[in-house]
Amino acid sequence: MEQIIKQTIQKLSLPEITFADVRITRTDNEFIAFQNGYLRAYGTNLDSIALGIRVLINGCWGFAGTRDLSNNSINKAINTAISNARYGSIFQKNKVEFPPLSPVQAEYEHHPEQDPFKMAKEEKIDYLQRLAEAIKPQGKIVHSVVYAMFMRQEKYYTNSEGTYSHSTYYNTLPMMEVLASDGAQVQSRTWPGHMGAGRAGFELFHKHKFEENTERIIKEATDLLSAPTIEEDKADIIIGSGHLALQLHESVGHATEADRIFGMEISYAGKTFIKPEMIGTFPYASPVVNIFSDSTDPRGMGYHPVDDEGVPGKKVDIIKNGILVNQQTSRQIAHLLGLEPSSNMKASYGDDFPLVRMTNFCLAPGEGTLDQLIADTEHGYLLDFTKTWSIDDNRNNFQFTTEIGYRIEKGKIVGIVKEPTYYGITKEFWNSCDRVCGPEEWDYQSTFNCGKGEPGQSMQLSHGVAPARFRNIDVRVKI
Amino acid sequence: MENLDYLKSALDSHPELQYEIIEQYWTTDFLRFYHSQTNYNISKEVTSLDATIYKGKKSFSFMLDNANSQTIDNAVQDALSIIDKLPEDPYFVDLENDKTLAKPREVKNNIEVVPLKLKTEVLARIATAVAPYNFDIFGSFVCNYQKYRLVNSNGLDKISVSSPYYLEVKAVHNKSQVTVVEAFGGEDFQYFQERNFIEQLLQKIGFCSHDIVDIEPGTYDVILAPRCLGEFAQYLAYGMSARALDQHTSFFEGKLNQKVFPEWVSICDDPEDPDMIHKDYGSNGHIYRYLSLIDQGIFRNFMCDNYYSHKTGLPKNGNTGSCLKIEKGDKTLDELIGSIKYGLFISSLHYMNFINPKETSITGLTRDGTFLIEDGKITKVVNNLRFTEKVARIFDHIQALENRSHPVPFSGNYAIFDVETVKSPHALVKDFNISSSTKTI
Repeated sequence: MEQIIKQTIQKLSLPEITFADVRITRTDNEFIAFQNGYLRAYGTNLDSIALGIRVLINGCWGFAGTRDLSNNSINKAINTAISNARYGSIFQKNKVEFPPLSPVQAEYEHHPEQDPFKMAKEEKIDYLQRLAEAIKPQGKIVHSVVYAMFMRQEKYYTNSEGTYSHSTYYNTLPMMEVLASDGAQVQSRTWPGHMGAGRAGFELFHKHKFEENTERIIKEATDLLSAPTIEEDKADIIIGSGHLALQLHESVGHATEADRIFGMEISYAGKTFIKPEMIGTFPYASPVVNIFSDSTDPRGMGYHPVDDEGVPGKKVDIIKNGILVNQQTSRQIAHLLGLEPSSNMKASYGDDFPLVRMTNFCLAPGEGTLDQLIADTEHGYLLDFTKTWSIDDNRNNFQFTTEIGYRIEKGKIVGIVKEPTYYGITKEFWNSCDRVCGPEEWDYQSTFNCGKGEPGQSMQLSHGVAPARFRNIDVRVKI
Repeated sequence: MENLDYLKSALDSHPELQYEIIEQYWTTDFLRFYHSQTNYNISKEVTSLDATIYKGKKSFSFMLDNANSQTIDNAVQDALSIIDKLPEDPYFVDLENDKTLAKPREVKNNIEVVPLKLKTEVLARIATAVAPYNFDIFGSFVCNYQKYRLVNSNGLDKISVSSPYYLEVKAVHNKSQVTVVEAFGGEDFQYFQERNFIEQLLQKIGFCSHDIVDIEPGTYDVILAPRCLGEFAQYLAYGMSARALDQHTSFFEGKLNQKVFPEWVSICDDPEDPDMIHKDYGSNGHIYRYLSLIDQGIFRNFMCDNYYSHKTGLPKNGNTGSCLKIEKGDKTLDELIGSIKYGLFISSLHYMNFINPKETSITGLTRDGTFLIEDGKITKVVNNLRFTEKVARIFDHIQALENRSHPVPFSGNYAIFDVETVKSPHALVKDFNISSSTKTI
């Protein structure tokens, strides 16, 4: 692969090409799904190889991707990428440009504790079948799912500046869900929620204590059928890590992807309310809120030695003491904004075009435990486990529903509520944050399913968070 | 398609096995543009071989990209080494056995018909047309070509070729950010009328000169544009699947042949409509045919594939809701708008998600043109709004439908970029629940 990628970049050493890069990914995917206690699907997609060539000609990007690494196919992709840039530049007003970077050589290999691709298939099936058996339909439980996805990706990257990177990593997505019904309504509970993926192998199932939580989700889903809803208009809410990761993702992470400032994502993912002049002054959040993008931390799925356009991994403050101070950028966009590139250009597979993406996008820890935060709350709700999410085109108005809410009275959890729903405006909401729990509660929450771009790419990324409290939030939505 | 034959031959030597194999070739030419200029153009091609092997009620699947005989042999060996050790799925009975072949169609490769040079020329003319109004254009112009062959051990051998194209243009005012959208998609580029497309875009731009206002949360009578009603129909159709019924998340559970909506609401899945992007085959290679879903307000059929037909006992049809069509009504659009004293015109929707699929409760937002209607006329531009509604209630609250239907292309932007059409009229819906405002355009 190294030889192929280096030969390909040499072929792109042409006078009209001002910048070029080439990526190859070799990816293994495995998925297992049990439904109602029975194995519904088990499959693999192994050794999937993809190559992408990106060239800058006349200030316009051209790209071609293929999954065939024969000489003929690569030569065809080179010619197509060049042709795409040439013809694309016919319809262009402002040329893409950015300053050069010094070349970097990087090598990284992640070793999970339990390599899912080396484990016997029977061992994985046996474990998951025990979980599936434990949560199969019983009592009010009418449907259940146990699900696992394993991914190993080896990536080669090189560019016309001489940067070369080779990395390998493993990501795992574990999930179980039960659905309870009383005939009239249904309620669901997942474990460990929609942000339970991680940079890990099979050991992630044990880290998340699946076996210890089967009874809990059965009980909670069943209890939700008879639980009340939130009745007041406004309340203080503590958001647990699993759901707070999504709140951060949608209302800060995507909002600070700077390609949105220039409308590059209007046609699909949307825009952002942020304007260039807000960087450095905009009071995005309360002073207790510090948010950063960190592709240097190998614990998260967003780690990389070099991003997909040759920028070394970086830790960049995005919100410092509540003030918006930076953006997630590409080299082109950083240049337009007068910023340093933040190492956020990523593509899902070799034959995908790199886009501005979250990597490890994190809320810095404050202090104290979740128990202390609950004890410090007179009346409110602890919300966790995302059920529904939605945010507007500008990343301004959001509304979330979680699977469950735990009602807090005088510092203690005294009951549950079903389908707790809250909504708000991004700036007002983050300015209502008065406490973030400390390092002892801080951990990565991760997803396999961040969609962006056309053709669509599903990115795997992480959020480091600790539970946080938000005051006087709108919690009543009439349906 | 030689790899498929090679794999089929390998599996045929194991009479104890059943199998389904799909080989797919997909290629795209994908131009994204912003601020009336190219962002980038992507060309991409993928060949994949996807197989599921069954031994009794046990199964194992594998997918191979750019396969060859060596990787196929390895994958088959891997599958055979594990399949006996896997637990059974007691609900698996048999593979699809519908051998009906679709009528042959001539399919032009639109990547060749609409090359990048032509795309940029079309876009340059659209950009020039909107520029005097201080609008820039953003969006994508896509041509796909895809070939699909499915075989299974019950003797199915089906090939389908399609080449949809899709143009979506958002015109955005450079100062106010007020946005309108126009889209066109299909399989024959001759149907694309550039002048009409530009005229319709300019007509929408004409509404954008009004003041921008905000409105209070509450219920409003609204006109839903075809792409909105079509998208709500897609969400409604989730509950019309036998899979949702089996998983206890279907709104239509226990409602077969019952009246669920007013008699002027009819919805079908119709691949034969010439305005729609055609679909030859549905789930597991079943022929794709017309299916009535809601007939004059009565729920008629679940969409059901082979697996769930065996499991639920419902008749199988292979439909997937890929060609949804909502019957037109008897009012002109002007009459619909003219009937509203104080309400909204909603052009497009954004980021919808079910809160509870069984109840069809949903939240989402408006975008790309939300307008205030006062005394029967569009008078203001409104900030984008959040709605929290029940989709079933929206259809129940349809008061009247436009007397013509419009094909609306939708991009299916998942594993591969695909294009489907929904055909829908404008609809007048009463008491649509606006739950909050975004306070932005």
